[in-house]
Amino acid sequence: MDRPTAAGSPPLRILCIDDEMRILRALKALFRDCEVQLCNDPRQAVAMASQFDVDVVICDQRMPQMQGIEVLRELKSTAPRAMRILLTGYADLKAVLGSVNEGEVFRYVNKPWDNAEMRALVAEAGRISRDAAVITAEPISERDAAEARTEVGILVLEDDVNSQARLREILAPHYQVRFANNAERALQILEQHETGVVISETESRQGDLTSLLKALKIHHPHIATVVITERANAQTAMELINEGQVYRMLLKPVRMGSCRLSVDSAITRYWKLKRNPRAIQRFAVANLPSFALPPTTISESLLARIKGLPSRIVQIVRFNS
Amino acid sequence: MMTWLLGTLLIIALLAVGLLFVRERKLVGALAAMQEEGKKREASQAQVIHTTKLASLGQMVAGVAHEINTPLGFVKSNVEVVADLLAEYEQAVTNVMTGVDFLLNADAGIAERAKTLVIKARAQLSQATGLNEARELLTDSVDGLKQMSALVVNLKGFARVDRDGMDLIDVNDSIRSSLTIASHQLRDRITVETELGTLPPVRCMPSQINQVFLNLITNAAQAMGEEGRLRIRSAAKKEGVEVSISDNGSGIPDNVLPKIFDPFFTTKKVGEGTGLGLSIVHKIIQGHGGSIRVNSVIGKGTTFFVELPIDSKAQAARAGAQ
Repeated sequence: MDRPTAAGSPPLRILCIDDEMRILRALKALFRDCEVQLCNDPRQAVAMASQFDVDVVICDQRMPQMQGIEVLRELKSTAPRAMRILLTGYADLKAVLGSVNEGEVFRYVNKPWDNAEMRALVAEAGRISRDAAVITAEPISERDAAEARTEVGILVLEDDVNSQARLREILAPHYQVRFANNAERALQILEQHETGVVISETESRQGDLTSLLKALKIHHPHIATVVITERANAQTAMELINEGQVYRMLLKPVRMGSCRLSVDSAITRYWKLKRNPRAIQRFAVANLPSFALPPTTISESLLARIKGLPSRIVQIVRFNS
Repeated sequence: MMTWLLGTLLIIALLAVGLLFVRERKLVGALAAMQEEGKKREASQAQVIHTTKLASLGQMVAGVAHEINTPLGFVKSNVEVVADLLAEYEQAVTNVMTGVDFLLNADAGIAERAKTLVIKARAQLSQATGLNEARELLTDSVDGLKQMSALVVNLKGFARVDRDGMDLIDVNDSIRSSLTIASHQLRDRITVETELGTLPPVRCMPSQINQVFLNLITNAAQAMGEEGRLRIRSAAKKEGVEVSISDNGSGIPDNVLPKIFDPFFTTKKVGEGTGLGLSIVHKIIQGHGGSIRVNSVIGKGTTFFVELPIDSKAQAARAGAQ
């Protein structure tokens, strides 16, 4: 079993939040080599997290006083260094979407969990939490924002004409938007233009697109992915979080307000990461334990091109030791 | 002249017969089409009823999965951790035993060293907390297993898979098991208040009565949206029992109220409701010789009153045939 705490460093500090005491005791026993704080009233969680200066938060979704995603949304701003893991008994779509769009979770874990996987995941989260720089939630200056919008491109990967037209209408007046009907064309655009945000369907007429998004994330974690989808299902959404670290997930038909907000915030994050590459690993999937990565279905040649994409962030810190 | 007239008449007659014939054929065709249509509709109704059943099965599975995954989560984790703790403890015991063996076989020269070794190993063993931790984890696990088996019993009771037909039941049990099945739809957002009176046993088809309560509870939960209060009361009546299920949701508009028990009537979006929930409820209660009333105030909420006779001689079996 992986040891969650690296040799020589102080033990990891983990905050576990669940209304079920027996889940909390089980987690405490599982992480008996770490410093674990238990919280069975989510309303206390924010205060506990800052008092305790936690590295990793494991939080249940369904609690009578407060939903897990609400807790995580608050912790995102009050304890930005802590990595957030959502633990849930049953994955319903609303919770999964909320965990991406509001809680910005690192991983989504179903009960019953696997002990070895859970320890490996927490070890990884803890390492990132201590190593990686923090991206703050503060807005960037007007000048930076204007610069970001002109310099950084947005790629839309979508082959539905109506949806393309809709996104063009929403985005074209404000950003450098480029459209691709298929993976091939998308790769061309990524090769030629600095792209900070990829907006993509989960499937096209030529098949599944999620493998491409996951592969892109593995090799270029600084690019934010916004998934737009018609037929959302909780399982796919969960995989996109855990294996693709998607930044936002929007349901079709895409609404102007939420789309603009998502893209603005995605481009802001890209801009901040560009200035602060040491924070990138917070959004990476590359160091996932191997069990979590299924064999990819995209072709060798496409994969080679994804790997070969120019890294436009000056010095991506090599953290894959 | 005559011939011409006769000829014309003949042509007219022929035309009329021909027209009639064509119409007849059309009629036959139309009849056949109607029959076909009727069959299709029956088939699609059966399909929808089947889908409704599957949907409530799906709902049940979701509910059970959620209720069972939490105890499963800690029991599974605890069992593995206990195995690790036992292995650690075993190591501590082995260290003491090795020391003791060493001491027993030691000659005078190294006896002092052996003694120090045993004392150290023994101190470590007495400080080991693994067994106590393991005991606590096992206590939790036994609780969790009890919780899971209670759930399975409940589920079996709800679906009545082991028996079918009429039975004498306490309607309160039926209410409680429906609440468990619906709990994942209620838990985070809806406060449930129950006032269950002492009831005489009622002869009914339990799986159908469970279905009635599950449908009414689910509807109430949906009517309340983000949060609300569900109140369930039961009381003995002169010749039966009365159960009321109230929500403080949006209420049912006056123009909708008369239609709520109609089959296929729904106010939900396409694909979200089959429009059969309340019609099934109505049919089951009718089949039991009971009655259902509704009282709704816009913006305040809705209450359904279900009355069941103590012994329903009515044809519950027929009502539940589908």
